[in-house]
Amino acid sequence: MECSERAHATEFTRFARRNNSLSSSGRLFVFAFLFIVSIGIAAAFAVIGAWPILPFAGLEMGVLYLAFRVFERHAADYERIAIAGDRVEVEICEAGRARCHEFNRYWAQVVSGEGARLALRSHGREVEIGRHLNDDQRRALARELGRRLHGTAGH
Amino acid sequence: MEAAHAHHGHEAHGHHPTGIMRWITTTNHKDIGTLYLLFALTMFFVGGVLALMLRLELFEPGMQFWRPEFFNQLTTMHGLIMVFGAIMPAFVGFANWQVPLMIGAPDMAFARMNNWSFWLLPPAAVLLVVSFFVPGGAIAAGWTLYAPLSTQMGPGTDLAIFAVHILGASSIMGSINIITTILNMRAPGMTLMKMPLFVWTWLITAYLLIAVMPVLAGAVTMVLTDRHFGTSFFNAAGGGDPVMFQHIFWFFGHPEVYIMILPGFGIISQIVPTFARKPLFGYSSMVYATASIAILSFMVWAHHMFTVGMPAAAQLFFMYATMLIAVPTGVKVFNWIATMWKGSMTFETPMLFACGFIFVFSMGGFTGLVLAITPVDIQLQDTYYVVAHFHYVLVAGSLFALFGGAYYWLPKWIGRMYDETLGKWHFWLSMVFFNVTFFPMHFTGLAGLPRRVPDYNMQFADFNMISTIGAFGFGLSQLIFVYLLWKAIGGAGEKATDKVWEGAQGLEWTLPSPPPYHTFETPPVVK
Repeated sequence: MECSERAHATEFTRFARRNNSLSSSGRLFVFAFLFIVSIGIAAAFAVIGAWPILPFAGLEMGVLYLAFRVFERHAADYERIAIAGDRVEVEICEAGRARCHEFNRYWAQVVSGEGARLALRSHGREVEIGRHLNDDQRRALARELGRRLHGTAGH
Repeated sequence: MEAAHAHHGHEAHGHHPTGIMRWITTTNHKDIGTLYLLFALTMFFVGGVLALMLRLELFEPGMQFWRPEFFNQLTTMHGLIMVFGAIMPAFVGFANWQVPLMIGAPDMAFARMNNWSFWLLPPAAVLLVVSFFVPGGAIAAGWTLYAPLSTQMGPGTDLAIFAVHILGASSIMGSINIITTILNMRAPGMTLMKMPLFVWTWLITAYLLIAVMPVLAGAVTMVLTDRHFGTSFFNAAGGGDPVMFQHIFWFFGHPEVYIMILPGFGIISQIVPTFARKPLFGYSSMVYATASIAILSFMVWAHHMFTVGMPAAAQLFFMYATMLIAVPTGVKVFNWIATMWKGSMTFETPMLFACGFIFVFSMGGFTGLVLAITPVDIQLQDTYYVVAHFHYVLVAGSLFALFGGAYYWLPKWIGRMYDETLGKWHFWLSMVFFNVTFFPMHFTGLAGLPRRVPDYNMQFADFNMISTIGAFGFGLSQLIFVYLLWKAIGGAGEKATDKVWEGAQGLEWTLPSPPPYHTFETPPVVK
């Protein structure tokens, strides 16, 4: 069963998305604008006989497309932490692929690392959490998880 | 603007190689910024030595040191190296260091591509320098690579063409990286109209680069195919048109002029408010003025080639369009002065360079207006008046902005203050010798002295002698900067505070000096 299918049964959920200062439609607009300008200029030169500009403009737009595509794939990255009964679920979605990590609520430990980094650890397994949060939000999450898991703050 | 929460020390988890491999394999924006800046400084001195070799020959009338062919190679390579090897990489270096710090991003969007962008530069520089030693020497057609000269010269031209291709690829990758970073990776709360002006100017510059770099690549490719593959793009005998090269080149070349000055405007717009201790006057008008200059830059290219002959309507169009650029540029100069108005000003070295920039760049802007007038330009085309004009905007403009920016952010980058006395000496000597070198060129140009010619009439002897003395003075003054850097990097100065300058505003000043290897791994919140 996917993590998301059990989401409704949770008593605690935190959801965080990657910081994106430009929306998908914004990216599309910027790409379309640059494409029209660059290919437009190259096409105008091609009309007067200077066609070798066109392949370079096409190549450039190809690289720009790939760059925006890579960014777009990661735009929807998210992280969801849910506590349901004796289970703690961490769902991490990167580049469209979601992975689910499950911990026992009574064994899981919140580990604070270098520079307010945060992880959930149990049975030798460790999963970094709160990567899309800033330091203050991460500290707040550590306190909240510590309280929910064992009634203490993180180690 | 205030960062609710700025940084966390992350040196420990950044497992990066040390020694030479750190610099070769680095994907860290600060390391790559440093590499760009050191590369640009090196090329600045290489291009500078070429300039001094030119001035040496021009010290007296008659031919003393170089053959005319070699003199032309020197002028060409001085231009190419300064434009593509010094000024542009220096601004990219500033972008690498500063853009992520100023928008609260952890690094550039494509860190590995960033590494490639830089490491393409040294091979291109080697190609350019090595071209002096191939049969026939380096390309001697001028930095504009005009056909049919460039289609007829020796193998040095091919090396220059390959170098331009490589440099263009580097610029395109760099600008894609900068656009993606600025648009997608701003910290929460940093809306477009809250971005520091330096970031805005780089966003627009990167757009210009993306628009025109394929044009340059296409132009030099056509020269290459005309030379070796039997095409006749620019060969009238084969049905081509050499004037088309000029149209194509300057369609790239004029936006290129703004590529080299807009980030400089951005740097000055950071420095002036800091040392006037006032917010920048007319922030949004600065943004719109920058965008207007970028748009207008696509409509003025033919003012570089009034003498090739064109219909009167075209001459009028390009003349008026060129004059129109004075409006947004005037808005900028007005805003900088208005920022200083009733400000609590102090004149540390960055501010001296900024004030020097505003004063001397404006003079270059005015001579630009003179040259925009078609009938005047037809008289002054290819004279030293043009040389004076573009050195006023490129040396006193771009270079002074770069020096101002270097002094402004150096304490942040290395964590140590530089020697303020030496910095002031550097500024004043540069300012004086710059004017000693280039101001007389207005007179020689108005009197008809043609550029790119190694000899001249006796009537020009005194002014040329003054220019040469100024050039050597300017060149030697730059050694002060190297010594100052060496001292500061060696840890001679006092420890820099986080904010460094009392009036500094922005996210980069919330970080320690020097900033940790990794910064803003989670975005700060901008209020």
